[in-house]
Amino acid sequence: MQITSEALERAIEELAKLPGTGRKSAQRIAIHLLKQTDEHVSKLADALIQLKKSVTRCSVCGTITDTDPCSICSNHKRMNGVVCVVEEFQDVYIIEKTNEFRGRYHVLGGTISPLENIGPDDIRIKELLDRIADEDESIEEVILALNPDAEGEATSYYINKLLKNYEIEITRIAYGIPMGTELEFIDEATLSRAFASRTSF
Amino acid sequence: MRINRLKLQFFRNHEETEVQFAPHLNLFTGPNGAGKTNLIDAIHYLCMTRSFVASSDQYVAHHDEKYFMIDGDFEGEIRSSFKVSCSYSRGEGKKIFVNDSPLDRLSDLIGMIPVVVLSPEDRKLTSEGPAERRSFLDSMISQISPKYLRDLIKFRKIRKQRNKLLQEYQGPLSMLKSYLEPWDVQLAQTGTAIIFKRAQVLEKFKEYLAIQYQSITGLNLEPTLRYESICDKYDSHEQIHEEYVNQIESNFEKEAEREQTIIGPHRDEVVFYLGDIELRNYGSQGQHRLFSMALKMAQLFYYSDELDDLPIMLLDDVFGNLDQQKIDVITEALTKHSGQTFITSASERPFDQEMFKGSEQNVWFTVENGTVSSKF
Repeated sequence: MQITSEALERAIEELAKLPGTGRKSAQRIAIHLLKQTDEHVSKLADALIQLKKSVTRCSVCGTITDTDPCSICSNHKRMNGVVCVVEEFQDVYIIEKTNEFRGRYHVLGGTISPLENIGPDDIRIKELLDRIADEDESIEEVILALNPDAEGEATSYYINKLLKNYEIEITRIAYGIPMGTELEFIDEATLSRAFASRTSF
Repeated sequence: MRINRLKLQFFRNHEETEVQFAPHLNLFTGPNGAGKTNLIDAIHYLCMTRSFVASSDQYVAHHDEKYFMIDGDFEGEIRSSFKVSCSYSRGEGKKIFVNDSPLDRLSDLIGMIPVVVLSPEDRKLTSEGPAERRSFLDSMISQISPKYLRDLIKFRKIRKQRNKLLQEYQGPLSMLKSYLEPWDVQLAQTGTAIIFKRAQVLEKFKEYLAIQYQSITGLNLEPTLRYESICDKYDSHEQIHEEYVNQIESNFEKEAEREQTIIGPHRDEVVFYLGDIELRNYGSQGQHRLFSMALKMAQLFYYSDELDDLPIMLLDDVFGNLDQQKIDVITEALTKHSGQTFITSASERPFDQEMFKGSEQNVWFTVENGTVSSKF
């Protein structure tokens, strides 16, 4: 094979590193971009550069933001006393889409996992304790909303244990049946957990 | 449950094979190396996501090819008709599709099509180490309880995390303990669920075992089994859990020193007895073979009572080493099992042609060089 454009080859190589893009898709994207106007491609390149340049982490909750503190942490209409602890900033986005939760967040940036060499000190647990100790924040309730896998459970357990020393309420989101499904399609584990954490009607 | 049609592409020596099966007995005869076992191994793939012969998928692809494909049409009591496919390629690995939609986890397939395999490898069950018996038990229970399988997978994960901590942690022991705690809680919870389920299943299973052993051998030697885990009694979940928590506590220093999890169902053992003698150490070769056969026949009839769908039975080359009387006993037991059965055999001698001629229930196939054709 002979390559007539080194630049095209380089673009394909870079694109192929993106998640979910194999070499074939990368090729398609690169060729598509070649056919676009200069302006269109500059816009895309600029968006990518800005993405990296202007997005930072909120110094309070740890989510991604263009302004520090983020728009949620600086919104005075939100309930200051309630903090929802999540694993990653994507989870903030997902919970926000529901429009149900009116408190604020705390993003851990991962879960405890010895196999990946992540210990309690490697995720933002200390920052959570600082926030609780901070009287200006006046936190009264911490809601744990971590994934129900082994690592999420271990992390919830660890945080719960640390927080017992503080005079705040600690809750966790319920385990249960997803809406819009039928009981017969629910796996046993979910169903038995849903029974254990049933609520009064 | 039954499989009506099987299609193979580049699966071992089957370049392209398509077979329609009979609802009851399917017999495959032909010379060694013709591809008989490969056929029923392909069925096993569609039930358990893996081979019962080869240890790795990559050896299963046809010699020059980098992929294989298995397709089967199934018919059951609850789902009247569905299709299961398994594809493997060296680049993308293995994927399972049910009615053409991919499963998120391979393990979601297990239990959908219950299967029991009898093969010459079974003698390891009684003669080799406890890992063989644990894996028999796990595979048997996983097919009737999806929760059990999930607990097993979760337990393995927790144990890995915990072992890593035990191996790498360098600080003071009291700190190690507080780091272990979030994992200990889950270890005890999940481990208890596994132990309790194993004890429950074995309690029922041993009755089936006694009946099958006696009907195969015609002897009055009573086969029994003893489940050995972390406690002496397995009557209640709470009791096991309490014992588990205590033992994690009292073995902390030992675990820290050995740098691994030593309390739990991953060290369980099932001891088999014939009368008073312990089979593993004192049984003869013949006793081992018949006992392991009884284990599998017991699994078949246990499933038949426990599940809505009758299991698919696969018998790989087991008739070769048996005398005619035992063959008759097994064939009779299989006729009692009204589900679908697949038998491979190098020899045609043990089988009665009259059962297959003109029958819609049974088919006799001959296999040669990866080509399958029906005999009559």
